[in-house]
Formats: sequence, structure tokens, C-alpha cells
Amino acid sequence: MFVFVRMFASKIRSWISRRREDREFRQELAGHLEMLTHENIRCGMSPAEANRIAHVRLGGITQLQETNRELKGLPMLETLVQDIRYAFRMLRKNPGFMAIAVLTLAFGIGANSAIFTAVDTLALRPLPYRNPERLVTIGSREAHHPEAQEWISAPTLFDLQDGAQSFSAVAGISPVWNNIVTGRENAERLESLYVSAGFFPMLGVQPAIGRDFRADEDARTKGANVVILSYAYWQRQFGGNPAAVGQTLSVSQIPFTIIGILPRDFLYLGEPVAGTPSQIDLWMPLATNPLIARPRNVRFLKGIGQTKDGVSVAQAQQEILRMGDAFAKQFADSDAGLEFGVAPLSASVSGRLRPMMLLLLGAVGFVLLMACANVANLLLTLAGARGKELAVRTALGASRLRLLRQLLTESALLSGLGGVAGIAIAYGALRGLVALAPATLVQGRTIHLDARALLFTTAAVLVSALLSGLPPALRILSADAGIGLRETGRGFTGGHHRFRSALVVAQMSLALALLVGAGLFIRGFVKLLDVNPGFDVQHVATFSTQVPVTTTSTVPQVVALDRALIDRLRQAQGVREIGAVSRLPLLGTSLGSTLTIEGRSFSAQEYRSIEYRVASPGYFPAMGIPLIAGRLFDDHDDSNAKGVAVIDEAAAQQFWGAQNPVGQHIKLGPNPEKQDWITVIGVVGNVHHVGLEALPVPEVYRPISFSALGSPIIVARSEGTPAALLPVLTSAMRSYNSALPVYNSFSMETLVERSVAQRRFLMTLLSGFACAALFLAAIGIYGTISQSIAQRTREMGLRIALGAQPRDVLKMVLAQGMQLAALGVVIGGLSAAALTRMIRSLLFQVSPFDVGVFFVAAITLCAVALFACFAPTLRATRVDPLVALRHE
Amino acid sequence: MSADRSEILQGTLDLMVLKTLDTMGSLHGYGVARRIEQISEEALQINQGTIYASLVRLLQKGWITSAWGTSENNRKAKFYSITRSGKKQLNAEAESWERIASVIGRVLRAERG
Repeated sequence: MFVFVRMFASKIRSWISRRREDREFRQELAGHLEMLTHENIRCGMSPAEANRIAHVRLGGITQLQETNRELKGLPMLETLVQDIRYAFRMLRKNPGFMAIAVLTLAFGIGANSAIFTAVDTLALRPLPYRNPERLVTIGSREAHHPEAQEWISAPTLFDLQDGAQSFSAVAGISPVWNNIVTGRENAERLESLYVSAGFFPMLGVQPAIGRDFRADEDARTKGANVVILSYAYWQRQFGGNPAAVGQTLSVSQIPFTIIGILPRDFLYLGEPVAGTPSQIDLWMPLATNPLIARPRNVRFLKGIGQTKDGVSVAQAQQEILRMGDAFAKQFADSDAGLEFGVAPLSASVSGRLRPMMLLLLGAVGFVLLMACANVANLLLTLAGARGKELAVRTALGASRLRLLRQLLTESALLSGLGGVAGIAIAYGALRGLVALAPATLVQGRTIHLDARALLFTTAAVLVSALLSGLPPALRILSADAGIGLRETGRGFTGGHHRFRSALVVAQMSLALALLVGAGLFIRGFVKLLDVNPGFDVQHVATFSTQVPVTTTSTVPQVVALDRALIDRLRQAQGVREIGAVSRLPLLGTSLGSTLTIEGRSFSAQEYRSIEYRVASPGYFPAMGIPLIAGRLFDDHDDSNAKGVAVIDEAAAQQFWGAQNPVGQHIKLGPNPEKQDWITVIGVVGNVHHVGLEALPVPEVYRPISFSALGSPIIVARSEGTPAALLPVLTSAMRSYNSALPVYNSFSMETLVERSVAQRRFLMTLLSGFACAALFLAAIGIYGTISQSIAQRTREMGLRIALGAQPRDVLKMVLAQGMQLAALGVVIGGLSAAALTRMIRSLLFQVSPFDVGVFFVAAITLCAVALFACFAPTLRATRVDPLVALRHE
Repeated sequence: MSADRSEILQGTLDLMVLKTLDTMGSLHGYGVARRIEQISEEALQINQGTIYASLVRLLQKGWITSAWGTSENNRKAKFYSITRSGKKQLNAEAESWERIASVIGRVLRAERG
């Protein structure tokens, strides 16, 4: 083994100094000859004879030199350099060809690198934590409510922390229900989370400055008021001053001591539990959450666990299921019917994105395939022009392998140049991609070209080199060398027509598949936008704020604050209707509640979950939610406020069917025996509370006089545009009480747009790929038809000379192009039908075999193909028979 | 068939060159060629030039080294000498050569008998 290394090293050394080595060898041989001649003379030969015999004895000098060079050199490397040099010369002679081929490949490779980088960062790469494969989410939900989010209660968390053997640590994360105002300068609302003391160590994260939570600061239900800040907030609020550690921050009027600052690159990638993708600014011990001492039926925590080294997720799941069964028996009131689940953390972070991401990667891969087909076609054209040269080389004894290598070197050179340009394109494309990508997708991650992206690009270059170079090379080599020599000028090209046609058909099929895919998404998206969300999208603006609640405030006091605020805002210029609500629509499910109906018993399996919102009387008219039956809340509900509720049509339908729910009595919550009856006073129209693509779910609204809003979300219907209303509302808030924060202010249009942003992003990218595919297909068919006409110039001339009308020639050539297109459409249609089934889950209310979409895609493709064929065809009809017959 | 044969000859020539350098010390290409011809009593009629291919192979394997020097007729010439790893290789090769030769000899005698 060592000898080989030494030989290789020696060869490389010789190759580097090959000129000197050559010269020295010549000297050596000259010396040898001289000595041999001397010897011969000493033996009595004449000098001339001696010299001749010496040459005979030594052997041919040139041959010896050649052998020596071969032995010392790196034959592979030498031919490679030769091939590359030759390829460069070829391409320099055809600058137009080279530019088109390199640009086509650069585009394909660049788009692939960009998409790969984004997909890799968002969905493929392991989470940026220590031992990410050992991190799992632990949750529970009612078995008959499988679409609900998973939550666990504080007592359950403690039981898991004490009892679960599969885990080295279990932590709870809790969103902050009551928003937070800091006491520094302007009131500001911050994203915050309560986490167990073990949370950061579990992720392998240490504060960059200061320290982590101590165990005694998060001792079950007894916590210390300490807070860890995000790097970004620390920079923003404290200017990056390390002295911030130790200072106090007033959080909802409670002083918290700052104990640490997280590292700059720390990212919280868990599910956006606070209902927002923005990064978390404040982290507080779980034990300081006011809900921490609540019983088992208050489920408000996300569980996250780290499995012990060597324990699989399945094993951990088994144990949690066993524990869940035990809880159900032990705590039948609260835990019966709960279903526990354990899943890798990566699944909840990137798992839901994966189908969408893989679709993008597949689509952009198709585009690269098409680019390769075009370059293969171009290479074949070029080889056609060189047919004679290749034939001569074959006849002179160049081995097929040698020619194959030569041809592949050319395609590799093109792909390599394409790759270099592609990286530049990918760089630009990524910036556009990041700008276009919705925030919920990116989640604060930085997406940039890195080593993995470069590796991928290299692979893409190699694949492109093979895909674009091998088919034409094999095609050329399989052609009979003799033909090339005999046929003057035309070389091999004559026989390639079928091969070219196959390439065009393949391109047409790929393009159709992409068109169909994009078409299905566009159609679904249009349908999605057509969905009536159940409220007025055009005229409503919203913002969130907080009323100055103190720890001693009573409900009526807060209600009075809410009312005063709303009444004041009602005076603002341009406000037609105004109201407040606890949660905006289109934001997914919230915790929900359990419904009990007077005089009816539900079996354990029966669906009785109901979404829950608190709304002021003005909310419904402000949002344009219609009243269907009964009445809305009014300000007289104060006296018996606890006793009224409004439901939506979905709830009426689900729980009462044809019966009139108005006047019926219900209870809400898991412990009905402790509660009073509530009268349903009205039914309002359905609102898409979960999202546009989800059917409206049963919903119950309670008046603010029952559950005052500490952080009301104000909705206002404007006389003019909602955008114009927002600044008016903000200044009204300032003049009312400048200590109140104003945040999340936007129009309902923005809310709708945000809820469909991911779909729009996916649709836009797919449409872009489909357009690129259409363009490449057009170029492909254009090139092939032009080439075929160029070859048949003589035939055309003959036909015209014999009396064919331009129209006949036109028809003949167009028919040829259209045949290819039609075949491509059929094959593409069949493959698309096979492929679209895989994206069924991503489509909204569109069948993967939507006839309309397939039809439109086919028509579009044929129209583009027809257009692309037209220019070369017209040229064919203008062939001058005299010129054509003299051709060649 | 011819390729196999030339390979055997190549290996044999390399071995002879190595042995020559081992016994004679430092020699130039011409000297090596002459010495092999003399030892083989002119039975081995080779092109003297083929020695050089052998020398390059041995150099690349690190079994011999080369240095420019002055020949007996006062000309610049390249002198080759065996290295330590070359000696080791020579011993191993000579041993295996003798073993193979004796085996082949036995086989051939057995067939004859």
C-alpha cells in the first residue's frame, strides 16, 4: 500500500517537472549512446558503424522517450487536461452555444441549490440543539378530539418528572396567557414563555451572560421572580450592557430580576405555542405561572422530554402510554378519555413542513432535468457539426472509450461552468426566497449557502454532466463511423432525429407534469380565497392592547376599564362599529371547552368540545358577523351576565340539529356540577376560526361582563379603508392613556393574507417552476424542429420545386412538431396523474385528477409548442428551391 | 498472452537490475545494461534502452535512488544505487523467485517422469 502512495507521489513530482525530466532523460540516453559507441570503436568498428550499432543496441530514442514519459507521467491526468483544453477550444469556437448551454444549466443548478438550501435549513437538518434526536414532545388530548392541540396539566408534568424512567429530563413549557408590559420607558408587550428549570440544560444551551434558572427558583409550585432575556431583547432594551444582569424588570407590575442573557444564536423552534412565530424575549420559571397550582383538568403545558441515552422514542412512548392508562384509572374525573402521545421534537418543528418542502425539491429537480435535456440536445447539434471530425478520429484508431471521455468532458465543463454561475444565481435566488417566505415558515432561522449547499451543488453539477452528456455521447458513438466519413458535411446528424424527438417528448411530459402540479395549487388557492371567512375582510382593522389591571382588580372593575376604552375609541374619527374579543379568527384552535346541555347526557365517546371566545356586544356588528336567531349581547346583560351565551351555526347544527337552541340551557367546562346554567340567547353566523381551509367548528361566545378582558383585542369597522383607521386608533389610544401599549395592529385583509401565506408561497414557487419548464420545453421543441428543417432543406426545396405550396410545407412541419407535443402531453398527463396523488394532502378542495386543470395545462403546453414551432416552420416555407438543391 | 509474458519479463528485468545494483554498488544505466549482458553471458539479448523503464519503475517504488555524477570517460551521467527498502525487497523477491523456480522445476520434472 505504502509503495503505491510513494509511486503516486513520485509520478506527481515527475509530472510537475516533466520538462526538466525529459531533458535529463535525453542527456542520459546521449551519454549511454556515447559510451556504447566508444565500446564499439574499441572493438574495432569504424566510428560510423559503431554509432549505427550503438543505436540498434539501445533501441529507438523516440520510443524510449515516449515510454519514459508514460511511466513517469499521469496518463489519466494528461488526457484529462488535453480533453479539457480541447473542450474549451470547441466551446470557444461556438460562443453562442456555450452561453446558452451554460446559462440553461446555471439556471437549473442555481434554482436547485437555492431550493435545496431553504428546504435543508427548514425541514431536513437536525435541530440546532444538543442530541436533537433524543428530544421529544409529550402531550395529551381527548381521544375523541384528535385534531385538538396536545397539552398536559401541571400535576401530570410533575408525575412524569418523578415517574418516567425513559427520560433523563422532562420539562414543561407554558405560553403566557396574560400579555406582559414591562415597566421600562414605553409600555411594551413581549413574547414570553414559562419553562421548567431543566429546559435549557436539556437543549444544551447555556446563557451567554449570567446564569440559568436554579432548581430552587422553579420548585414545583414555588418559584422565584427571575427572568432570562433573549439576546435580541437585551441588545434592544439594554444596548448589550452586561450590567443588565441583576437589574429588575417589571412584568405585569411584578418585579422580576434579570439573571441571564441567552446566546445570540439561540433559536426557539418549538411549535409557536404563544400563537406567534416571533422569537421569545422573556423566559421565566414555570413555577411563576399563576396556573401552576391548578388541578389536573387545567391543561396548559407543552411537555418536552429528553430520552435517556439508548432509549428509543418508541420505548419512551410505551412508558408514557402506560403512565397515561394509570392516570386515567387514578384520576378518572380529569384524565379518563385522555390519549397520550410522544413524538420526536423534530417532527413538530419541521415534520409538518416536510411534504411541502419535498414537493418543492421534486419540482425544481424536474426543472433541472429539463435543462439537462436542452443541453443534451444542444450537444447533439454541436456533435452533428463535428460528425466528420469524430468519424476521422474513430477511423484513425481513437477508442470509443476515449471519445466518450472526450464528449463527457465537454458536458462536464459546461456543467461546471453552469455550477459556478449557478452558485451566483442561487445566492440571489435565496435572498428573494427569504424575502418572499412567510415568517411562520422561516421562524427566525438564517438561510444561506453553506458547505452542505455547495456539496449539493457539486452533486447537481455531476448529475447534470452525466444527464446532459451521456445520452448524446452514447448516441453519437453508437452511430456507424463509416457514415460520417462518407456523408460530406452532414456527419452523423441524420440518424439522430428519433433521439432528439425522444428528448423533446420527455421535456414536454415533464413540463406538463409541472404545469398540472402548479395548476392544482393555483386552483386550490383560488378556491381558498373564495372561502367566505364569515366576517367582513375589507373594512375591519384590529389592534391589541392592555387595560391597567392590578392584582387587586375585580372583574367589574376590569369590565369598566374595557368599556371605558371601547367607548372612548368609538368617538374616533371614521369608526363605525367597534368591539373587543379575546382571540382573532384564523389563528388555529385554542384550548376550547367542554359542553354540557340541560336534559341531555353525552356518552364518553360523544363529541362535546366547543371553541370559546369572549366578546363585547359591539364585536359582532364590527366584524360583520350576522345574527341568525335570537339576539346579541347588550349592555343590560350586566345584571345576569353570567347566564348568557351566543353560539355559532356550527354549534347549533352540531348539538341541536333542527331544534332551536335559543333559550336552551348549557354549561361549559370539565366540572359542570360546580356551575350555574347558561342560557343561549342567540345564534350568529359561522366564522372560520381555525383557518380558511378548516370547516367552521362549534363556537360559544361569552360576554365581557362575565370574563373581563385584561388584554382586549379591539376590532373596528371603518368608514373608509382600514389602513387609514389604524393611525387614528393609535392616536386615540395615546390621548386616552399613553401608558397602554398598542401592538398587533393590522387590517383583517392582512390577517387573511397571513393565514394563507404559506400556501401562497408554495403556489408562487411552483408556478415559477412551471413557467421555467414551459420556457425550456419551448426552447427544446424549437431547437429540434429548426434542426430537423435545416437537415431537410434539400427535401423542402425539392418539394417546392415539384409544386408543393408553402401551405403544404407549413402543415407538414407543424404536424411533425405537434406530434411530438401531443405524445408528450399524453405521457406527461399519465405521469402527472400518477404523481399528483402524492400531493393530495397538500391540496385544498381540488381533486388531484381535476380534469379542468389537466385540460388547461395540456392546451397551454400545446399552444406554446405550436408557437415555438412556428418560426422555424415559416423559414421552411421560404426555402428557395434553387438554393436548396445546390445545398451541400 | 503476450501481455502476461511481457509482464513476467518486466518483473524479471527489475529483479536483475536490483541485484546488479546490489552487488556492484552505484552504476549508470549503461553500466547496468553491460553488467546484465555479461553475467547472462550474452544469452539475454535485450535492447539496452529497456533498462531505463526498469530503472524508472524501481525509482518510483523507492527501491533505488539516482544522482548525477561523472562517468569514467568524464561525462555527466546518472548513477543509480540501491536503497535499504530496495535491499529488503531484493531479498524477498529473490527468495520467492527461487521458491517458484524450484516448484516449477519439480512440476516440470514430474510431468516428464
